[in-house]
Amino acid sequence: MKILNYLACPECDLLLQRVLPAVNEKAHCPRCHYLLHRPRIQSITRTFALSLTGLFLLLPANLLPIVGIKILGNSHDGTLLSGSVTLFNEEMWAVAVVVFLASILFPMLSIILSLLISGHLYFHRPNRYLSAWLRTLQHIDEWAMLEVYLLGIIVACVKLASMAELKFGLGLTAFVLLLWVTLMLASNFDRVLFWQRIEQLNAHEEK
Amino acid sequence: MHMKKNNTALAQGLMRCHECGKLAQIHSPAPLICTRCGSHLHARLPHSFQRTLALLLSGFALYIPANLFPIMTVTKLGVGEPHTILGGIVALIHSDMLPIAMLVLVASILVPLLKLLGLSLLLLCVHFRWQVNAKLWTRLYRIIAFVGRWSMLDIFMISILVSLVNLGGVAQVIAGSAATAFAAVVVLTMFAAKSFDPRLIWDVQND
Repeated sequence: MKILNYLACPECDLLLQRVLPAVNEKAHCPRCHYLLHRPRIQSITRTFALSLTGLFLLLPANLLPIVGIKILGNSHDGTLLSGSVTLFNEEMWAVAVVVFLASILFPMLSIILSLLISGHLYFHRPNRYLSAWLRTLQHIDEWAMLEVYLLGIIVACVKLASMAELKFGLGLTAFVLLLWVTLMLASNFDRVLFWQRIEQLNAHEEK
Repeated sequence: MHMKKNNTALAQGLMRCHECGKLAQIHSPAPLICTRCGSHLHARLPHSFQRTLALLLSGFALYIPANLFPIMTVTKLGVGEPHTILGGIVALIHSDMLPIAMLVLVASILVPLLKLLGLSLLLLCVHFRWQVNAKLWTRLYRIIAFVGRWSMLDIFMISILVSLVNLGGVAQVIAGSAATAFAAVVVLTMFAAKSFDPRLIWDVQND
């Protein structure tokens, strides 16, 4: 039996013969219906372009004011960063760290790692850290929660609408664009292809 | 995809790399490290049951203070009192924001509770070797793994309110001790879902 012609379902361990589905078609596990593989058009090129776009959005999304409020003549602006900073100053450091990781550090790292990996694959540059980067990316992906944060902004605004005047800043636009980029990155990312290409690149270098 | 009945990778002496999906022989002379990505190989996630159980029990323990203690205090012109998660939802209903109240109810109370109970069921199923519809139970696991992140909604909302409504005597929002407990519940249950290996459900089925 040639091991390379087989794959195992990660959720039910069924051994299957490897078949490459057509682009945009899905291969599901016949036993547990796990989505095994869904090849995308130009996955590497698109990941490269999207993560480059994301890189330019990182700074404005993190530093420009997202929402401002005005109560009885007093106004105050909030950025993505100011939330965790205020929590930290109020000695809620555990919550501050979780918010900082989920809304700032992990989304940032995931864009930077996507750019590094897809850049190396796009230009056919081998690098011994490629698999470590992709492993890290797979682990932090679940902890980057920009879409949940957007819902948090909406709920907070609804709560504030009755007691204060709200003003939406340029940071919100950058934030929504960044969220769109991360969602597009996730949907265009072909994990199976990325691992295959990394293996090919590294094998090529060793020769 | 071609299917062989009851033919798992484990039964064929193979194991799938958790990180990159490559198959390897269980009884190989070489050290058990993936040749493609360099991570340690195991047929199943190591100590999956014990880890999930430990994280789950911590989650249950912290779910109590998360709901009993105040999650934040809102003061307007010096007047205001602390309220709990449930109190915040009641306040939203009283100010005629029923849809948002339902959203917070689902994200902050129902999802964490259903996650804790769902993961307990999965562990019971594995421990007592319940003969179940494994496909359905794997779907339960997927739902638990998917919805976990959305519970961070309340934490993000608090972080936004705390940084925005920071106008001294005019209006101020201060995070309460339940925020730390609640954030811990969300993080612990996400780790619990991550450490549970759904292949165990299939392993205990007799057919």
